Amino acid sequence: MAQIKLQNIAHSYNPDATDSKYALKPFDMTWVDGGRYAILGPSGCGKSTMLNIMSGIVKPSEGRLLFDGDDVTDKSTSERNIAQVFQFPVIYGTMTVHDNLAFPLVCRGYDKSFIESKVNEVAEALSLEGLLSQSAKKLTADQKQLISLGRGLVRDNVAAVLMDEPLTVIDPDLKFRLRRKLKEINQKYKSTLIYVTHDQNEAMTFAENIIVMDDGEIVQIGSPAELFERPKTTFVGYFIGAPAMNLFDCDAVGSNAIKFGNVEISTKTDLSAIKNKRLKLGIRSEYLQLVKSAGKNTIHANIESVDDWGNHKLITANFEGSNIKIKVKREVEVPTEKIYLKFPAQNCCVYENEMLIS
Amino acid sequence: MNFKHKYLFLLPGLLVLLGILIFPIGFTVRLSLSSWDSFFPGLDFIGLENYTRLFTDDPRFWESFQRLSFLSVTTVFLQYTIGFALAHIVWKEILFQRFFRVLFLIPMMTTPVIMTVIWKTVFHESLGPVNDFFSLFGVTPLWLSSEALSKVTVIIVEVWQWTPFMFLLLLAGLLSLPKEPFLAASIDGAGPIRKFVYVTFPLMAPISIGAIIIRLIEASKIMDTVYVLTSGGPGTSSETSSFYIFIKGLREFQFGYSAALSLTYLIIMIISLTIIAKMLVKLMIRS
Repeated sequence: MAQIKLQNIAHSYNPDATDSKYALKPFDMTWVDGGRYAILGPSGCGKSTMLNIMSGIVKPSEGRLLFDGDDVTDKSTSERNIAQVFQFPVIYGTMTVHDNLAFPLVCRGYDKSFIESKVNEVAEALSLEGLLSQSAKKLTADQKQLISLGRGLVRDNVAAVLMDEPLTVIDPDLKFRLRRKLKEINQKYKSTLIYVTHDQNEAMTFAENIIVMDDGEIVQIGSPAELFERPKTTFVGYFIGAPAMNLFDCDAVGSNAIKFGNVEISTKTDLSAIKNKRLKLGIRSEYLQLVKSAGKNTIHANIESVDDWGNHKLITANFEGSNIKIKVKREVEVPTEKIYLKFPAQNCCVYENEMLIS
Repeated sequence: MNFKHKYLFLLPGLLVLLGILIFPIGFTVRLSLSSWDSFFPGLDFIGLENYTRLFTDDPRFWESFQRLSFLSVTTVFLQYTIGFALAHIVWKEILFQRFFRVLFLIPMMTTPVIMTVIWKTVFHESLGPVNDFFSLFGVTPLWLSSEALSKVTVIIVEVWQWTPFMFLLLLAGLLSLPKEPFLAASIDGAGPIRKFVYVTFPLMAPISIGAIIIRLIEASKIMDTVYVLTSGGPGTSSETSSFYIFIKGLREFQFGYSAALSLTYLIIMIISLTIIAKMLVKLMIRS
């Protein structure tokens, strides 16, 4: 296990080209030893590039990579002592489950008794002990993915286990079990787990810290709650949460108030130092309140549709040309034409140039 | 809806199939039951007499069959081994990669009969450059007129001519392999030999089986090389089944008998190639 530090790391797949474009823009980051991270972002945002830089599959065009202070930027994958689980399970089909788990240790020349004890320990942790003598080829996709993970765990002091969308081929029910298993493994082995995904649910339920990326850049690092409550950019607000955060154009009208349409809405954000009067108001659909009558921070919107999502209803309303999504419990009676919506001040996020005003 | 008119659209294809495949096979079966030769041409009926002769009184056919088995298995094994090695070399990023990829394909682009004539000159026992070289060490091997060496010469020429085909199929296979298993093996600490044994070879097994079977089918028809290089000689020591059938049918004009030989050959080849394919699957994939 090790602390992993990325110092001014950047990468371009064609650095010599005149119109060279960064797949990963320069950034610094430290991965705390034993942490459970998820890298979340849309396809092509640079998350797999970041993972491949850490594993050594890709050499960064700029910057240094430090494992516990040692510069490993130029070291090969095998010299870095990391484990990586790929999107599709990688197993050695000609071997048994036991031999698959033992393979990294056999390659490194460990003695037989040590290999046996480590294989049995990891097999037990991954609930594979009953399958050790079976051919790995005949197992199910989730069992194969556990073997891929197990091959990383049998090695002592693995700096980090990197997982590149490892549950893509797994059934939804098994996904849930595997994520729980990964958490248990993290607690048991205290190994740093870094999980790349474009599925926010996977990231939210797995990680202690989520790194949200967009267009080769880290846009926010935070806990699932932080990302939900205070998205640092409108992109994060839009990307995290289902449905996405409601975002409306608004104008600053006071030290902590904005004007949305013709309604003034108070927020908890200090806007006194803001020069740009054109702002954006963001609020989660979960926090908008249905109220009976007009009042402070309340708008009167037209209902466009009401969708039943099983455990809740999703109301789509329109206020002065802006679409608003509101999530309410399914037992709530929704009026047919017009509703009063209250914006709680503590849940309003105000953005200037797409960045949260803190 | 009534789809009966579909047969009308199938008819042209079926007619072609009937003309080029079903009719010739049917005619060969009928021919094999006749004594049609140059003296008494005609489709008379002699029952299974040709087959009785083949199974009881023609050791030359069975010897040629054994020879064919030896030659085809040996040449295909060598082609596979060398082809795989060459494909593996140019699969990786090496200097002049494109040049080598084309270079290794050149033998396949040449005309087999012409190249065999050139090889015959090369191996000529008194005039050829090969024996010029060997004479420096005081030996002049009889490449074309020794019973054992004539087979070796046929093997060399066949391997030279057809290894590029194997190379091409295997290179295409290697280029289509996913990267992840190799990356995983690197991460696990596997060296080049372990990577080959546990990753490359198992992943290439289905492609290898296909390539081997295609080449075995082709090699079992070996005829032009033998015809030009040794004419089956010395004696019958390099004669293969197809060459023997050619002699019986187109030199001695025993059409009825050569039809019986052809059908027997066809059935044996279908059975043996099926068995070989199953064995290869068991050996290379299931194990």
